[in-house]
Amino acid sequence: MLTQKLPAVQSFLPLVSRRVGHLSSRRYDVIVVGGGHAGTEAAAAAARVGADTLLVTQKIHTVGALSCNPSLGGVGKGHLVREIDALDGLCGRAGDWAGIHFSILNRSKGPAVWGPRAQLDRQRYREFIQSELLSTPRLTVLEGSVEELLVTEPNPDEPGRHRVTGIRLADGSQPISAASVVLTTGTFLSGSLFVGQTTSPGGRIGDAPSGAGLTHTLRERLGLKVGRLRTGTPPRIVKHSVDLSLATLHPPDSRPTPFSFMNTRTRCEPEEQLPCHLTLTTPGVERIVRESLHLNCHIQQDTKGPRYCPSIESRVMRFPGRSHQVWLEPEGVTSDLLYPQGLSMTMPPDAQLRLIREIPPMRRAEIHTPGYGVQYDFVCPTQLSPSLQVKNTQGLFLAGQINGTTGYEEAAAQGLWAGLNGARRSLSMPPAALSRTESYIGVLIDDLVSRGVTEPYRMFTSRAEFRTSLRPDNADLRLTPKGFELGCVLSPRYQEAVRVESSLREAMAALQAVRLSTTSWRKMLPDIGVSDNKSSLMTGMEILQYKDASFEMLASVFPETLSAYMEFSQRLKIEAVYKPHCDLNRREIERIQKEENMSLPQDIDYVSLPVSLSLEVREILERARPSTLGAATRLEGMTPAAIVALFNYVHFTEKQEKTMQRNQRNQKEDRDEDLCSTNVSLPR
Amino acid sequence: FVGLADADTIFALSSGHGRCGVAVVRVSGPASATALRRMVGLTHRLPPPRTALLRSITDPCSKEVLDRGLVLWFPAPHSFTGEDSVEFHIHGGPAVTTAVLQALGSVPGMRPAEAGEFTRRAFQAGKLDLTEVEGLGDLIHAETEAQRRQALRQMSGELGRLYQDWSHKLKRCLAHVEAFIDFSEDELIEDGVLERVDRSVCDLQAEVKQHLKDERRGERLRCGVQVVIAGATNAGKSSLLNTLCQRPAAIVSPIAGTTRDVVETALDIGGFPVLLSDTAGLRDSSDLVEQEGVRRARERVHQADLTLLVVDSTRLPSDVQQAADFLSDHLRTVLPSLKQPETGIILWTDLLPEAQTQKLQQELRRVSGLPAVCLISCQTNEGLKDFLTVLQSSVKTLCGDPLCGAPTLTQARHRAHLQQCAAALAQYQRYRDADLALAAEGVRLALTSLGRITGRVGAEEILDIIFKDFCIGK
Repeated sequence: MLTQKLPAVQSFLPLVSRRVGHLSSRRYDVIVVGGGHAGTEAAAAAARVGADTLLVTQKIHTVGALSCNPSLGGVGKGHLVREIDALDGLCGRAGDWAGIHFSILNRSKGPAVWGPRAQLDRQRYREFIQSELLSTPRLTVLEGSVEELLVTEPNPDEPGRHRVTGIRLADGSQPISAASVVLTTGTFLSGSLFVGQTTSPGGRIGDAPSGAGLTHTLRERLGLKVGRLRTGTPPRIVKHSVDLSLATLHPPDSRPTPFSFMNTRTRCEPEEQLPCHLTLTTPGVERIVRESLHLNCHIQQDTKGPRYCPSIESRVMRFPGRSHQVWLEPEGVTSDLLYPQGLSMTMPPDAQLRLIREIPPMRRAEIHTPGYGVQYDFVCPTQLSPSLQVKNTQGLFLAGQINGTTGYEEAAAQGLWAGLNGARRSLSMPPAALSRTESYIGVLIDDLVSRGVTEPYRMFTSRAEFRTSLRPDNADLRLTPKGFELGCVLSPRYQEAVRVESSLREAMAALQAVRLSTTSWRKMLPDIGVSDNKSSLMTGMEILQYKDASFEMLASVFPETLSAYMEFSQRLKIEAVYKPHCDLNRREIERIQKEENMSLPQDIDYVSLPVSLSLEVREILERARPSTLGAATRLEGMTPAAIVALFNYVHFTEKQEKTMQRNQRNQKEDRDEDLCSTNVSLPR
Repeated sequence: FVGLADADTIFALSSGHGRCGVAVVRVSGPASATALRRMVGLTHRLPPPRTALLRSITDPCSKEVLDRGLVLWFPAPHSFTGEDSVEFHIHGGPAVTTAVLQALGSVPGMRPAEAGEFTRRAFQAGKLDLTEVEGLGDLIHAETEAQRRQALRQMSGELGRLYQDWSHKLKRCLAHVEAFIDFSEDELIEDGVLERVDRSVCDLQAEVKQHLKDERRGERLRCGVQVVIAGATNAGKSSLLNTLCQRPAAIVSPIAGTTRDVVETALDIGGFPVLLSDTAGLRDSSDLVEQEGVRRARERVHQADLTLLVVDSTRLPSDVQQAADFLSDHLRTVLPSLKQPETGIILWTDLLPEAQTQKLQQELRRVSGLPAVCLISCQTNEGLKDFLTVLQSSVKTLCGDPLCGAPTLTQARHRAHLQQCAAALAQYQRYRDADLALAAEGVRLALTSLGRITGRVGAEEILDIIFKDFCIGK
């Protein structure tokens, strides 16, 4: 069932505070700055955890806007969407609501790398996110521009440790205070837009640039190290000016697969889905790129751009003399625009028009909005802890492109995690971390905070060491119970995950319990090629591992024990095939998790630490300040000997502290005993 | 790295090498009992705990008798590591130890121990006291250094090139499979990528298997402690070599740059095998042959267990007070890459007046922070005896370390990793059509196993190859 009901757009807009004067309070637990993918997930997660949350955004109607491609998911990114959904985030359900073309990428390559993906209707996506936020209890949305981040001077006892106290808006009103502030300002931090030779300040076309005050606070007052990155977006094409009959049709899956574990179907009916089209660049495209190069200042600057989402200019320059793919994607059910994926460009608008007209289906195409480039500052994410809190500023959390990532899903994942931790901090709960052994979100955050970025960071499945265990199909088993414990998963989803988990466990036990000789199996299921040279009995679980075996087949042979689990037939098949590999992974995973559970105190002075460490290693540790022993082992340049020295140090300091605490407790108890010596028994 | 409760069972030679009658091989971990049963052909009952038994030790696969020796069974927790442990006391020749180590490697669940792993496990089981624990980091440092040098020696040869070549090919295979997984749905990944990977994996697997089968293919590994004589040109390095081996093994002349290549001699010092190398004088030269000689000399120093720096005493400052400073400066200039292995300094004293030699000796004894300095007269051999005593004690210390100069152990380690590599490649083939993610996992495991010989390969390196070989850009 599709659980979401969408209220009419007009009915909820008045609920929004457009002026600070309308705010019911000037004190919140969590303030989220920015209404993109990171900001919306952060605000919703913080509110779910139980924090009074304020979301501040420049323009209410751009909350939940898809500023670049009209699609969600894909290989690696789809994994993130499933994990965000398992933690009760928004984007999976929003995708099911707004999707107009669903497909599972990599269908033939194994379930661990399946990539659920959908083309989206921009308007429906925005509507869903806005209606969801505005119906979230404890969440207020405010339109405004943040001028300043308020932080305390560092405590003299703890040099370099600031604390966030709130924000000040540009309209000159009184400050709004909060224990945690989550910044999700995307490309707006010192952002500049580039088209041809013109440059203007801003983070997205049509939106005002952010105040310089925020950048000043981050850089000058907090002393955070920033870097510069660039990205870009293609021109939007007028749909009816394109001859799609000259492109290759790519139909969606005949049965849409929802992103969300809570949905069994999508809003869009299978037959209502829209197709995509594929076409190729011609030598004329390359010619125009070269001709207009001198008019293209974005491409001439050497700010780091992504290698995997490059502009058509850099594709042509790096791989000349060949054709490149261009996907023509629908922008929505009612939209009359097409999104040419692969044609991100920054040349002058007239050159853009000439370029697209070199591609056969677009011979007579018109451009609605030209493509442009953005250059922006990001905060080097090695300055964050795994809870996405800035190490030197308590209560300040960063998420999304501000941390050097690219992509909606990467931003949303960080947003959720930062919002969760912001709320936990404001409610005096300890910070939470996700391990790279249990989730792609953990891989993403660990890569960011322990390695940093040199180019916009995007998720790939090859980044996850334990890919066979971290599958899109089991994200709920991996994360929903943990999310419930941490507070970001609400009860209905948790109940559903518990039901699924216990059903799967029962079904697997039933499969294990079926034990037959190979001869019997061959007689019962002649088509799956059970070899008969094995003398031992085989379980149903082992039979299900055969390529051509399905759970349906087994259930038809053993209906009384198995037919109750038909709902999970696909998941059971996947579990059976992957079980031996996951078992192999588990030992390594447990080892890493133990190391990650050994936290390194954040106030260690590595330069003077009284253990035998080389100067080189001390510098590495001082720079990276890993938060766990596990993170330390992954640092480049760490030696096994240094890890052992650290291990010993932490082990013995902990032991000493425990002894000290015990002694203090004993002393206290001794005193207590003196004080209440008349009591017969003492609570121990 | 710091496994808190490793489930693997590890083994290693835990006695030194050189002239020893008995070698001790230690096994620790849950599969110890299995290893003991398989190696001595027990079917049911294990021997009584901590009691030495004389048994025939056999290869579990071929059933060939490898040696007759003592076996001891230490059930947990009463062992050095606190885990189930076994000790094999066998005859101390390289042939026997290699055979036993290789046989242990073929028992399922067993792998060669990493540096310091026995001690680390003992520490985790609470079997060490604080001082022992404090030394653990240093011990592991020393062992990793010894392994690094040993690996470098092997990797610089033909074998090393072979492994590097495999590693390179595997990296490409993995990058291409990963590119196909992460990008082929959106990007133009040309046809035939996977078919090329199939062929490479098949060829590689055949090569690795052939290599494991063919005992003769491995080059003969140089045994013993590697001592290298280094120094500036014309310092008298070749004279030292000739003095030590008591025959004119190297040509000596007053012409700077006489020795151009590495001259090697096997020696027996105090009963321990030593491989002594004389190298070209270290100086900048425009002569191509000499440049190559200097490169080889530096490479040799990098791989050495012990370096002897020879200095011509006439180059010392006339004020003996400054001699120590001069020597430490000289050490830094001539051997800048030297991290901190064992080093000794030899000074030729022939051309100094006797009174100054004595003053020098007193002064150098006084200062600290320098490696051991020996003063020798080439003509009268005065000081040679003292030098030999110093050299012998260094060599003895080095030989006490079972990892140092023992190619058999490295061989056993390589073998285990190569076997894992071949098995992992079979996983690729098994899953190639059914599940590419599991097939890729096979290539990844193969690369990890090989990486334990050639060095680790990270995810970023694979992504670099992907972006170099394919135009990815959606």
